[in-house]
Amino acid sequence: MRAPEFFRGMRQVAVQELLVNLKSLRLIIMALVSALVIVGGAYGFSGLGSGGGFPGGLPPVVVWPHAAYNATGSHVAVVWVSDPFGGPQAGRTVDLEALGPNGTVPLAKIATDGNGFVRHDVGGTDVIAATVTVGSFQTGTTISFPPQPQNFTYDIIQGDLDRDGSDDEMAIHVVNVSGDVVPAQIAVNGTSVGSTDAHGYLQFDLPRGDSIVNVTVAGETQTFPATVRGGSGGPTFASGPDTVLIIIAALSGFIVSLFGVVLSFDAVSKERVQGTMDLLLSRPASRSGILLGKFLGAFAAVALPVTLVNLAGIGVIAAVSGKSPTGSFAAAFLGLSLLLIATYVLLQLSLSTIAKTSGTAILFGVLAWLLFNLLYPIITFVIGAALFANDPAGYFHFSLVSGLGSPTQVYFLLIGLAAPQSLAGSGGTAVDPILPEAAAVAWIVLLLLLALWTFHKRGPE
Amino acid sequence: MIEVEGLTKVYGGSHGARALDGVTFSVPEKSIFGFLGPNGAGKTTTIRILATVLQPTEGTIRIDGHDLGEDPLAVKENLGLMPDEVLFYPTLTGLQQLLYYASFYGIRRADARKRGKELLEQFGLGDEMAKKVKAYSHGMKKRLALAQCLLHDPHVLIMDEPANGLDPGGMRYFRDLIRWLNGQGKTIFLSSHMLYEVEQLCERVGIIDHGHIVAVDTIADLSARLTAGAPTVLRVSAAGVTDDGIRAVAAIPGVTNVERTPLGVDVTAKAGSDVSGEVSRALVMAGAALRELKAEQRSLEDLFLALTKGGGA
Repeated sequence: MRAPEFFRGMRQVAVQELLVNLKSLRLIIMALVSALVIVGGAYGFSGLGSGGGFPGGLPPVVVWPHAAYNATGSHVAVVWVSDPFGGPQAGRTVDLEALGPNGTVPLAKIATDGNGFVRHDVGGTDVIAATVTVGSFQTGTTISFPPQPQNFTYDIIQGDLDRDGSDDEMAIHVVNVSGDVVPAQIAVNGTSVGSTDAHGYLQFDLPRGDSIVNVTVAGETQTFPATVRGGSGGPTFASGPDTVLIIIAALSGFIVSLFGVVLSFDAVSKERVQGTMDLLLSRPASRSGILLGKFLGAFAAVALPVTLVNLAGIGVIAAVSGKSPTGSFAAAFLGLSLLLIATYVLLQLSLSTIAKTSGTAILFGVLAWLLFNLLYPIITFVIGAALFANDPAGYFHFSLVSGLGSPTQVYFLLIGLAAPQSLAGSGGTAVDPILPEAAAVAWIVLLLLLALWTFHKRGPE
Repeated sequence: MIEVEGLTKVYGGSHGARALDGVTFSVPEKSIFGFLGPNGAGKTTTIRILATVLQPTEGTIRIDGHDLGEDPLAVKENLGLMPDEVLFYPTLTGLQQLLYYASFYGIRRADARKRGKELLEQFGLGDEMAKKVKAYSHGMKKRLALAQCLLHDPHVLIMDEPANGLDPGGMRYFRDLIRWLNGQGKTIFLSSHMLYEVEQLCERVGIIDHGHIVAVDTIADLSARLTAGAPTVLRVSAAGVTDDGIRAVAAIPGVTNVERTPLGVDVTAKAGSDVSGEVSRALVMAGAALRELKAEQRSLEDLFLALTKGGGA
């Protein structure tokens, strides 16, 4: 079936453009640079800070100590090994040592069972040290046996378990006096937050400020205080995966727009320089079909590696920080990157049609990128600062509106809007979304019309 | 059949340079039409418009009954262009170029591959079809250019300087090929600087100068038209021509001028007078040894120079 006249030749040109670009050296170089910046950035920023009570990030394993007793009153050291989120770690070696006035005495090295537990009778020893080593990471704890056994014991950790930039999560582990898992009800400030699971674990949120936590097992309740510090400011730098993704998206805005420029700056002019333009135009294809084919081919050639790199970046953020970014935000990041690519490729198609030589085409490409990514933001900043020196609100609105004049700025505004509400302050959540959304559509439509018009007028000349 | 009427092309706005001005000619079906003109006369502009690459400012073109302005795609389906500069995508092989171009005509890939291979083999590129075009010589690129314009078996071929830059063997190859293609029923529009080539191939020619068509006719009629009313020149090759002989020839009625040449003499007579018998008799009587005597034929080159006022080709 023949395509309508407007689109005639589009598919053929698009396939050719894509294949030629995929095999080009510049695509490989730009894909590597993008991967370096986006995946490397994701790794670097995800690893920074965070973890709250765990400097350097959350630990790979947590050791939960309990003092238990057997029927004869002998001391039983109970150690549960899990990841910070309550996943039992089977087969981890726990090194038990007796701590006494004469120093440490090795007792046993025992592997955790299928549920992550080690239960070891230590006779009358009062203080036991338990250590677990995972690669280069080592964690240890002590178990003290009080003279008066308690019906159940608990251990807690507090930190940024959901990687949202604040240490407002707590995890608890509860066993009874025999060292067995028993259901425990947990309440914070009198409100139930759930029961421990089959391994004795529960993770729950704490409100800011001071709280009272109640642990109830078989009608008996123990109470302890908890505090969440930190205040009303935004998230800490590079803490949650969403925050890392915002940083990555900002870096990606510059790299992806450059990628678009590098691959499409001579999409039209090279046909002319190579001398293949006349042969192409004499084929049964419409000018609009040829131009749209050029666009689709160059767009796909950039979009494929960029999407792969972006997905890898999101994967690295999830792997390093232990939590995936918000799904809708990650999807918006992927989609907005494509929008940015489309904008810059269309812009380059117009410029490439006007450029008579390869040199001019390169110059136009570099200038266009510098204009929208560097010069325009600087110029609007200077103008804004001069006009609204004593009017922060006025400046804020000016910068939002002036930002619509650069596709990269529009992308940044849309990324800010797509970011989860909890990150208010790092994005522009005060912006009316309709403005940047309309601007994004307007940029695409205008640049498409401009590219079609210039190619129609200037294509062969 | 190609019919061009009132073709005008103005570059750079309504006050820009007029590359073509009211160009009108027609090329009968299944003929070879020679298109001549000095550099910058408008040949390439005409060809690019015919090949649908450029759009005319004014005028109509009908190719095989389709109006180029109204139905360019139908025209393109049946048109093969062989441009002067034969340049291809440097990183594609010869066969890949053909497959790419074939895809625009809706030719199935397997058929395009078969057809492409056949053409490349026919034009002596069978061993080179898997090589990238950047490794091709000029002559090989010319052959590839010919293959690409025949891929879809078009009725009309537009050829811009097909033999340009080829060695004598290559020129003859192309000349024979163009004759063969014409024999296959193709209408061929041939632009060439090589007047000898045009003379050999074309029955009709069009001559363009400064964007205007100055003549469209058969070579014989053009020659007759230009020589009508012009004096006849006899070129005489003879040894031992004496001054007496020259005086005797000059005395023949109708002779207006006699001039010595390294080979003998040139005799100019009034238009329409046949003085060859009297000239040869007079020279022999004066003791000269006559080798050859022939009336000068106006060559295409002379016609061209006369019509374009000596301009540039």
